Amino acid sequence: MSQMTGASSLVASLEAAGVDVMFGIPGGAILPAYDPIFSSSIRHILVRHEQGAGHAATGYAQVTGRVGVCIATSGPGATNLVTPLADAAMDSVPVVAITGQVPSVAIGTDAFQEADIRGITMPFAKHNYLITNPADIPRAIAEAFHIASTGRPGPVLVDIAKDALQAMTDFKYPSSVSLAGYKPKSVPDNQGILDAAALITQSSKPVFYVGGGVIKANASRELLELAQLLGAPVVTTLMARGAFPDSHPLHLGMPGMHGTVAAVTALQKADLLITLGARFDDRVTGKLSTFAVNAKVIHADVDPAEIGKNRFADVAVLGDLKNTISALIPALKAALAKNQPDLTPWLRQMNSLKSAYPLGYDKPSDGSLSPQYVIERLGKISGPEAIFAAGVGQHQMWASQFVSYENPRTWLNSGGLGTMGYAVPAAMGAKVGAPDTTVWAIDGDGCFQMTNQELVTCALNNIPIKVAIINNESLGMVRQWQTLFYEGRYSNTSLDSKRIPNFPMLAEAMGCVGLSCEREEDVDAIIEKAMGINDQPVVIDFRVHRDAMVWPMVAAGTSNDDIMVARETAPDWDSQEL
Amino acid sequence: MAQHTLEVLVENSPGVLARVAGLFSRRAYNIERLSVGPTTDPSISQMDIVVNLEGHALEQVIAQLDKLINVISIKEILPNKAVPAIHDTQPDYQN
Repeated sequence: MSQMTGASSLVASLEAAGVDVMFGIPGGAILPAYDPIFSSSIRHILVRHEQGAGHAATGYAQVTGRVGVCIATSGPGATNLVTPLADAAMDSVPVVAITGQVPSVAIGTDAFQEADIRGITMPFAKHNYLITNPADIPRAIAEAFHIASTGRPGPVLVDIAKDALQAMTDFKYPSSVSLAGYKPKSVPDNQGILDAAALITQSSKPVFYVGGGVIKANASRELLELAQLLGAPVVTTLMARGAFPDSHPLHLGMPGMHGTVAAVTALQKADLLITLGARFDDRVTGKLSTFAVNAKVIHADVDPAEIGKNRFADVAVLGDLKNTISALIPALKAALAKNQPDLTPWLRQMNSLKSAYPLGYDKPSDGSLSPQYVIERLGKISGPEAIFAAGVGQHQMWASQFVSYENPRTWLNSGGLGTMGYAVPAAMGAKVGAPDTTVWAIDGDGCFQMTNQELVTCALNNIPIKVAIINNESLGMVRQWQTLFYEGRYSNTSLDSKRIPNFPMLAEAMGCVGLSCEREEDVDAIIEKAMGINDQPVVIDFRVHRDAMVWPMVAAGTSNDDIMVARETAPDWDSQEL
Repeated sequence: MAQHTLEVLVENSPGVLARVAGLFSRRAYNIERLSVGPTTDPSISQMDIVVNLEGHALEQVIAQLDKLINVISIKEILPNKAVPAIHDTQPDYQN
């Protein structure tokens, strides 16, 4: 045990927790911590806005599977972390946020830069702390990393009063963490596994409904084995893209509001949903009372509160998904040996839908650039190892649809909270976590204008990400809804971003290479050019057609049965045997 | 609808009442009655929460309450039954 300041104890605790990088900005209340950070082995990346620090921590965590760390001062520094922490909560990303707080005697006095960040983050943080005693710092940090990274991952905030950082204390990092009220279940009950296997063998129309939990649990390999064992179709949600190879013949694509006809219909017509780390989100189910009405449900998840939250589970299996799927494989083998259902007709139906309604798009008739084409080429040229981070909106859906994901942890997006501006800072964090991998931010012109300042951080810190702005000079998804549901009254969705700002010049001003493209014949060459630049961030302004829309679409609040493949065009159900 | 009483053991830490009350508020559940008191262990407090919920909604409240790190255990006092149902960190009420 050694005597040091609370600030040194904090940094020593972060080192003991295995932190190698953190993203942050100093300020008054956190200033004591920045002195030992100066001489620490931990790489601190000085961002330009605390929101960028939070999303960067998320991007780092998503790519590496480790806990992402961000740090900020009290008051506005802390409140700027609120959006990325809420984002991390919705998408179950392990993040630890450290914030300075005003001195303990000043707490509650409306002191300068005082904000009750523990209270503010209470509704969504997995847990949080306010530390006023320096002796509590190592335990709080150890618990924070334990809570963030185990069970269902999530964000944990540790708010530390300035005087606790300044005071002398004994440093001793706890060798283990034990919390009376937190014991996430890792190994599933055998009975649940047996029940699940039995139910599967009774099904003639099963579908694997795969969510982001499979990626969080690093269970992609086990999923592949399980899916091939049963030979049932697989759908991967927006958070699970890459959990199962897009190229696999059993893969039907993404379900949900902008899912493929085959994936949406597979869930609707199934007699069994084998739900793995998914949460029956409204964007997947559509109108819940009409969702998969004839299906029984196996729900495997690490979070007990997800079981039965939106949809009754006939069989619930609680536990880490890697353990659950590993246990299910031999159990299913044994069950199938006794009773092998014939899935051939079901697979034939689904494959028929898959070939009848592939994802596609019409190129604009005026010869202008198609956004889907740009994104398709980005995926093809960058290859299956590249990492893609998207913002939120049309470009996000196209990036999910038209990039082929073969590997887990290669697709990052803000699925739950829908945070515009996520892409650039998340890509920054991803590139820090995977420096030898190509990292693209596929961003919208609206999103890009929310967080592009982190390109300065990238340029100064040798973080050469690549950004493709899908510039349709609009808040495109909102505009799409105005087209479809508000008679084309485009209230406040025109951004004029083909006029202002000049994105390539803006990029150059931030120390990046700025490029522009508006003709289809130039797309490949400009992507190749960007792929060749690895000592600087690159920004390409793809000036695309304004009126392209995301299809298929299940309108909000309607049934998945009413999926439209294009405007006023439903699939030709009569030609399908379902 | 029957009233149910939840006996919730929580860590006696600052903010724990706000965590519990906030959870009911943001998940849109009402608290009929709430009392907080000490236990023989000074590090643990007991909250008695009376809710007008049953079935699925009650199960969800208990599951969500159990996710709070400071909540140690939840005991449901069933109406007209002598033996309480105990919900620890892994409730088995799903099936």
